[in-house]
Amino acid sequence: MLAVSDLEVRYGRMAAVRGIKLDVGAGEIVCMVGPNGAGKSTTMLTIAGELTPHAGTIRFEDKPLTGTSVENVVRRGISLVPEGRRIFGRLTVEENLRLATFIRKNAREAASDLERIMEQFPILQERRHAPAGRLSGGEQQILAIARTLLTKPKLMLVDEPALGLAPMMVQLVHEILTELRSEGMTLLVVEQSLERALALADRIYVLRDGQVQLTGPTDELRDGEQIEAAYFGFQMQGAAP
Amino acid sequence: MTFFLQVVINAISIGSLYALAALGIGLLFGVMRLINFAHASYITIGAYTIIVPSTAALATLYIGNWHWALMTAAVCAIVIVLAVCTEFIVFRPLRHADPATLLVGSFALSFSLYYLLLLIHGGRPKAVDIGRGLIEHIAIGGLTIPRIDVVTIGITVTLLVALGLFLKKTRYGIEMRAASEDFRMARLLGVRANRVISIAFAISGLLAAAVSLLYLSRVGVLFPRMGIPLVIIAFVATVIGGMGSLFGAALGGFFVGAVSVVLQTILPLGLRAHRDAIVYILVIAILLWRPEGLIQVRAVKERV
Amino acid sequence: MTAQSTVLKAIRSTWPVLSLALLLLVIVLAISAFGGTGLQRNATEALIRIVVVIGLYIFIGNSGVMSFGSIAFMAVGAYASAWQTCCPRLKPYNMTGLPDFLKHNTFDVFTAALSSATLAAIFAFAVGYPIMRLSGISASIATLAVLAIINVTYANWDTVTLGTNSVIGLPGYVDMWVALGCSVLAMSVAFIYQETKMGKALRAASQDEVAAKAVGINVPHQRLVAWVLSAFFVALGGVLYAHFVTVITVNVFYLDMTFITLAMLVVGGMKSLAGAVMGVVVLSAVIEVFRNLEKGIEIFDIGVRLPVSSQEVALGVIMVLILILRPAGIMGGKEIYWPFPTSK
Repeated sequence: MLAVSDLEVRYGRMAAVRGIKLDVGAGEIVCMVGPNGAGKSTTMLTIAGELTPHAGTIRFEDKPLTGTSVENVVRRGISLVPEGRRIFGRLTVEENLRLATFIRKNAREAASDLERIMEQFPILQERRHAPAGRLSGGEQQILAIARTLLTKPKLMLVDEPALGLAPMMVQLVHEILTELRSEGMTLLVVEQSLERALALADRIYVLRDGQVQLTGPTDELRDGEQIEAAYFGFQMQGAAP
Repeated sequence: MTFFLQVVINAISIGSLYALAALGIGLLFGVMRLINFAHASYITIGAYTIIVPSTAALATLYIGNWHWALMTAAVCAIVIVLAVCTEFIVFRPLRHADPATLLVGSFALSFSLYYLLLLIHGGRPKAVDIGRGLIEHIAIGGLTIPRIDVVTIGITVTLLVALGLFLKKTRYGIEMRAASEDFRMARLLGVRANRVISIAFAISGLLAAAVSLLYLSRVGVLFPRMGIPLVIIAFVATVIGGMGSLFGAALGGFFVGAVSVVLQTILPLGLRAHRDAIVYILVIAILLWRPEGLIQVRAVKERV
Repeated sequence: MTAQSTVLKAIRSTWPVLSLALLLLVIVLAISAFGGTGLQRNATEALIRIVVVIGLYIFIGNSGVMSFGSIAFMAVGAYASAWQTCCPRLKPYNMTGLPDFLKHNTFDVFTAALSSATLAAIFAFAVGYPIMRLSGISASIATLAVLAIINVTYANWDTVTLGTNSVIGLPGYVDMWVALGCSVLAMSVAFIYQETKMGKALRAASQDEVAAKAVGINVPHQRLVAWVLSAFFVALGGVLYAHFVTVITVNVFYLDMTFITLAMLVVGGMKSLAGAVMGVVVLSAVIEVFRNLEKGIEIFDIGVRLPVSSQEVALGVIMVLILILRPAGIMGGKEIYWPFPTSK
């Protein structure tokens, strides 16, 4: 579904991301994992259209995506849930959700989707008319995800979903993401914790220093030493590309 | 007692005028963190459109001669177009610049427009006679109130309600509120940046046109610096009202305007000339008491 | 270390100031050799503006807080110097509100200049003490309020400032060389300040206030230091202006002056000393060109003459263009560093 190749993104003269190759197939959860500064968020922001790559291409559904503006990337079917929830605190829960439906072509379908989301996440229905700023951290994360869902994406980009959340909320969020996948959603997730990435993803890309160090299906990598070595940067022998 | 009430109504009327001016500034500050000094130009140019361009000392009314409804519509349309054009030509290329650059850019624009106006119209004040009926007083319940006061308050209330409904109920209003709070996130949900900003400028232009006509009816004279005192006060008012809050901006403008009028009345004659200084001292006092402004907006405060 | 390498080291480390001073010196020499009186007067005016803009830079560039009110100090400085040096015969009659020691005495221009700038600095301390506690934009508005207060007060204080009437007859001792000397002085002090611990602490706070506080920087205190130093030089600029034009009026030191000086600072690049100086140099050159175009010049035997006020329109347009092309200003916030690699 999504094919990234030879991606290079620079901040000024410094390359934050070099030669990244990444593929996401329909219906899977792929995780980019790595320490701080590895280039995971940079890659994600570039796919979303916020950053322009210095080199490389991004293709979505076999059509070029590179250089598309943020507003249009969303309309192509890729939605980003950025780091830190970023709900609109001064708008009500309902207004936060409605905002996401404005790009939908079929208004009636969007309205019924909104009601369905309210049913799926009762906490949102409860606080429908409350300013979103009054919700707790975990509730806000749910709102953020629900809001992104209403843009009817084909691919969801989620940047560090667990950031700043209590373990119980993290578990809930992971359950929601997995549930989404079982309903057919494709997800690309950025995670800083190796443990959480292994628990959530079907396939993993380990990034460090702006490059992919290691990639493979979670099941294969889970028990190996390779993955820790790739994450922490030890010398590896015979690592998979 | 009657005198007191009349002063109160005058205070509310002037306060409303400044509230409208502050809203124009506050709107653009909320959406793009821009303090638009060119707002003074919008107001001044809006007023000058009613006469034929010439450097003659005696002004010839052109649009000013039309029926008041048509004249109002024409002035509003012209200022809205002006505002949107300035967005396209000056502010769009500067969109990602830092606040100081935006500020000086808006000032440079205002500077150019001011001198362009001087070039076309000359610097001498010109008396104009519009809205003659507004100077008359009308009797309401034993009070004689200038019609202009009633009209000012009426129009301000109408515009405030309309703006409030727009922001709360319409799609573009919700997009604008979201963009004011977190522009980046709004874009990530598909909100078109250019459209939201253009609409904000258009509304700002409309507000400027309203201020322009109301102020002109009150003073009856065109002069090139017309817009500047209004905008300085609007600027100050937006800050003491609380940046990022439209309601705060309106409140701030209203407060400064009303206090100015009250001081003018109650100050002993010797101090009256210093009225503005006293208002500014009060402004500093308010800032020291509530640095984030009267209406604190949580989104604008930095979280640590 | 040899004497030669010590000298070289000194030149390298002061190059940011030295280069600017040399540039100005070259310009002044060229103008005094080839330029007419008109050009010399305009150059003097530009050099005076450099002093003012450097004053602004000392506060704005280091603290990151925009000050709309600093020109108030220009007024304070100008009038204070006028009280001490002008019209000894008329003073007792039309400036009746002055204290006796001013009414009946005249002081030499050097003392007057120094004391006036110091007075402004003291005034700056008094108003700055509460204001520097406020956050960025609130502080900026508060400074605007200070400007407005001074303007209204001076415009109505007939017995001391002659109200809205001009004060005339000031000794006009300021020529290109005096202005140049003061510019170099201002530059040097600004440079020294920004290299000290205080200057660097303030810059750190301007980038990240929370982090600065966390390492123990007293932000309001540092801002106040910059504010007072800034006021001194802005006031000095006011003194120079007063003794250049020999006539001062309250409204000269208000919004127009505020905007043109701020614009020159931002267009040049408000985060560096070189930016402050180059902003004035470039925009003054532009003003000069258009002044001449308005007067009428001949290009290839065709008389070109722009209508009045077009120079300001052009200036505004050029400022906007520069900001669009280089949002961080002409110098981009950088100083002029010694270009040759250091040998080691």
